[in-house]
Amino acid sequence: MSDKTIWDKLQNVDRRVFYWILFVGLAVPFMFPLGLPVAVTPPTQGLYSGLRKLQAGDVVALSINSGVSAWGDCLPAMVASVTQVLRQDAKLVIWSVGYVDCDITYREIVNRVPEFKSKTYGVDWVYFGYCPGQESNVALLRDNIRGLYTKDIQGTPTGDIPMMKNINGAKDIAMVLTSDTGDVQVYYRNQWGPTKSSRDNFGAVKYPVAEIGIAMNLSGDMSFFLSGDLFGLTGGSRGGAEMEKLVGIKGDGTITMDSINVSHLLVIGAIILTNVSYLLTRGKKR
Amino acid sequence: MITNVAAYPTDILGITGLWAGLLLMLFIYSYPLWKENPLYRFAEHTFVALAMAIAIGVNLDALNKVAFYPLVSEGALLMIIPIILGLMIYLLLVPQYRWISRYPVAILVGSSIGLGMAGQLLPNIVSQIINTITPPKVGVAAFDWFNFVYIAIGLICVTMYFLLTYEHTGPVKPVTQFGRYFIMLALGAYFGNTVLFRFSMLASRAQFLLQVLKIIPM
Repeated sequence: MSDKTIWDKLQNVDRRVFYWILFVGLAVPFMFPLGLPVAVTPPTQGLYSGLRKLQAGDVVALSINSGVSAWGDCLPAMVASVTQVLRQDAKLVIWSVGYVDCDITYREIVNRVPEFKSKTYGVDWVYFGYCPGQESNVALLRDNIRGLYTKDIQGTPTGDIPMMKNINGAKDIAMVLTSDTGDVQVYYRNQWGPTKSSRDNFGAVKYPVAEIGIAMNLSGDMSFFLSGDLFGLTGGSRGGAEMEKLVGIKGDGTITMDSINVSHLLVIGAIILTNVSYLLTRGKKR
Repeated sequence: MITNVAAYPTDILGITGLWAGLLLMLFIYSYPLWKENPLYRFAEHTFVALAMAIAIGVNLDALNKVAFYPLVSEGALLMIIPIILGLMIYLLLVPQYRWISRYPVAILVGSSIGLGMAGQLLPNIVSQIINTITPPKVGVAAFDWFNFVYIAIGLICVTMYFLLTYEHTGPVKPVTQFGRYFIMLALGAYFGNTVLFRFSMLASRAQFLLQVLKIIPM
């Protein structure tokens, strides 16, 4: 008979067992929602407050720089933000300098935001699609949108789109919302920064940029929110759930949060269990 | 409260797309949840091939819109320059003319650094320093003051940890050690958020699986 205790066995559990537990643990809360409360954090509140200040006719640029793989993190906050922008009767210019699959994300946003139904394409919003070039594109968009996007996604020359008649650069756009898995918000801050006339207390010129980022970006970009370089910031599905709460919609962010919470509890449990088993068996002859 | 989610597709193309996505996802997950197998490899190769095909198509389309179309239709002759520079990069594949490819690469790197440097100073250095040394306003919550002191101490300790012009001994030692703890705390937060992102991706896949199987609404 083996003299191995349960603690010995725990240290040798196949990692696939934990993967299965995790996958099932993530799936179950979708079927049986727990409805755990979501508290709104200052960065998300900053984004919502910024959107609430929009006047009818203001133009907002939505830069889709996250791929389909980051939908879980970015899509809920994008949908909630676009909903609020349209409720304010503001206009949307949508493009991407980061991901080739932005068309799918754009379609999904349009499908999920019912406010689009009462708006007219070309008058209230326009979509230009993806153009490779990253930071150099952002620099060009600051002064000459038509230099980069000669046509919209439907093939209409940019100059012929009613909404774009008086819009050709950062000075015509009230704010930028960038969904981000990387550094694109940095490009907007760097390249569009010196174009607005509003100055903060220290004379620094800051263009209103908000980031709808993946959770991974949150720690690093929080310093830019605290310094006022970003007026708003959402991190991951948690940020999406917070935005949905503020905007008053129940979307994927809210639905996913229970699952995320359960997964975290599972991981915390696993960390405690494995550490306890390690400490209890440490020094034992193998 | 308005429920704001998409609906289950009703057309054949939409349903086929959903099931193709689900099957390919399960093929990929068969690797971590079971072991490497032909289905996993099929899905992996399909993904790489599709991603490459889409990237080539989209980039050629963008090149057409930005350079070829203005050159041919609008007579923007300057567009010849980026097209030639782009073609020059392909000389990397011809050994005797490989040196020519260094010129467009040099221009690319130079222009990227120039563009990046121009805007870096204000948001990434000046703004951060101002924010770090500015105390919270009178009457704000005690937690803001705690944050201010915490960040100030952390900044000094971590900066001293990375200054290697002196030996980390004597009175400097506890400060640099404290700096190391601050770095570990920051890296822990980064790692935690990275794990959160991965879980979020996994959660959305679990949700997708249940939606396609119509166990939960789409």
